[in-house]
Amino acid sequence: MPLYFSERELVLPGQLLSDDGKRSGEGTYVLGDKVYALTVGFATIKNDKVCVIPIKGTYNPQPGDRVIGIVIDVKPNGFEVSLGRHLTATIRIPDKKEVQALNLKVGEAIYASVKEVGLKGVFLEAGEKIKKLTSGLLVDMHPSKIPRLIGRRGSMINMIKKETGCEMLVGRNGYILIKGPSPTNEFAAVAAIRLIEREAHSQGLTERVENLIKNILGSGVKDERTEFEAGK
Amino acid sequence: MREQNLKLVSEEGIRIDGRRFDELRPLKIEIGVLDKSDGSAYVELGKTKVFAAVFGPKEVHPKHLALPDRAILNCRYHMTSFSVDERKPLGMTRREIELSKVIREALESVVFLEEFPRTSIDVYVEVIQADGGTRTAGLTAASLALAEAGIPMADLIAAVAVGKVEGHLLLDLCDIEDKYGEADMPIAMAPRLNSIVLLQLNGRLTKEELKKGLELAKKGINEIYQKEREALRRKYSGVSPVEV
Repeated sequence: MPLYFSERELVLPGQLLSDDGKRSGEGTYVLGDKVYALTVGFATIKNDKVCVIPIKGTYNPQPGDRVIGIVIDVKPNGFEVSLGRHLTATIRIPDKKEVQALNLKVGEAIYASVKEVGLKGVFLEAGEKIKKLTSGLLVDMHPSKIPRLIGRRGSMINMIKKETGCEMLVGRNGYILIKGPSPTNEFAAVAAIRLIEREAHSQGLTERVENLIKNILGSGVKDERTEFEAGK
Repeated sequence: MREQNLKLVSEEGIRIDGRRFDELRPLKIEIGVLDKSDGSAYVELGKTKVFAAVFGPKEVHPKHLALPDRAILNCRYHMTSFSVDERKPLGMTRREIELSKVIREALESVVFLEEFPRTSIDVYVEVIQADGGTRTAGLTAASLALAEAGIPMADLIAAVAVGKVEGHLLLDLCDIEDKYGEADMPIAMAPRLNSIVLLQLNGRLTKEELKKGLELAKKGINEIYQKEREALRRKYSGVSPVEV
């Protein structure tokens, strides 16, 4: 069956991708046994299905995703948690005592993982898998840019952690918790996140982020000055 | 007031602004012009200038309006006070409320609302300068803003007006042609699906004229559609896929 795109090509909504309706994957729809793109994105083939990776989009929770949420309601049998933007998730705990034992209040942030996603909404894992976040800086980022922040096998996030000396917790839904040794280090981490958000799709980003952090933390600036003095 | 001898169409087949019968006004499209919105677009068709912004999907307020199986689409078409010759008072007029509705219904036919249950998607169309064809330019801008926001859509929408002036069918009427012409017919289509998502008619056309007008509109719509796609491609030209 013919395909009407080359791998990783930019496609637009309504663009014809394939003649085989059975090969419709994520980000596509079928009309008259033909596959069309749903959003602006890059067409690719995953497991023999035609998919479109959206450039910009909303967070689509998947079971197993680690997310950071903010408690918006405490109920006798669980919690309501906001995952930012339009998403709210539920934590169901059958035992009332366990709910009290967690001692969560409205407005507090938690780190948890997604248990299931269905028609009734998003549910998070209950019990010991909930981690209460007590201190740090909570930063919001567009969820579609989170994969870039993490990088290939965590390369980007590990580099930022190493360079800034901050502890970072990344939620797939776009919330990031930063805890650093000093406000300057935390600021460097936030600046790095903002740079990634702005230039998520450009090449050689890791290097630029590294330079930015070094500049902010002073070491990079110092190097330039010594070079200048040496040249004089 | 119209002067007695004003001719809107010359004998050589040239219109008052120098265009031929089947010619669009110069079209300029920009995408991603507003930082605070999730998606935005600016469309300039001759002297008509329109901004569109999309917010969402987000939580519905008040909560009881939320639908359990799909998102609700809110649309506001609004003309700024300074967009017309005589200052338009603030607030929504009857006309603006009606146009908000028809634009919303046109967009609903291409957006996959069932992807976002219990949420709302807000579309704001703001007319900065009006010179005829604001609803069609607004709809074009709104569909581009939705595309930029990453909201799943079956197709982009392109829209244009066709009208009858001094007995001739003209494409893309400007304000004077609209006011003093015999008929004005805004048409919006999803060209890939070949479906009409908006069709209004102000004035009278015969059956043949309507058919001819539709053909003329299709020609203009295809031109606009190509420009829309070009604009989207231009916006993302330097962008490469995220490596994960």
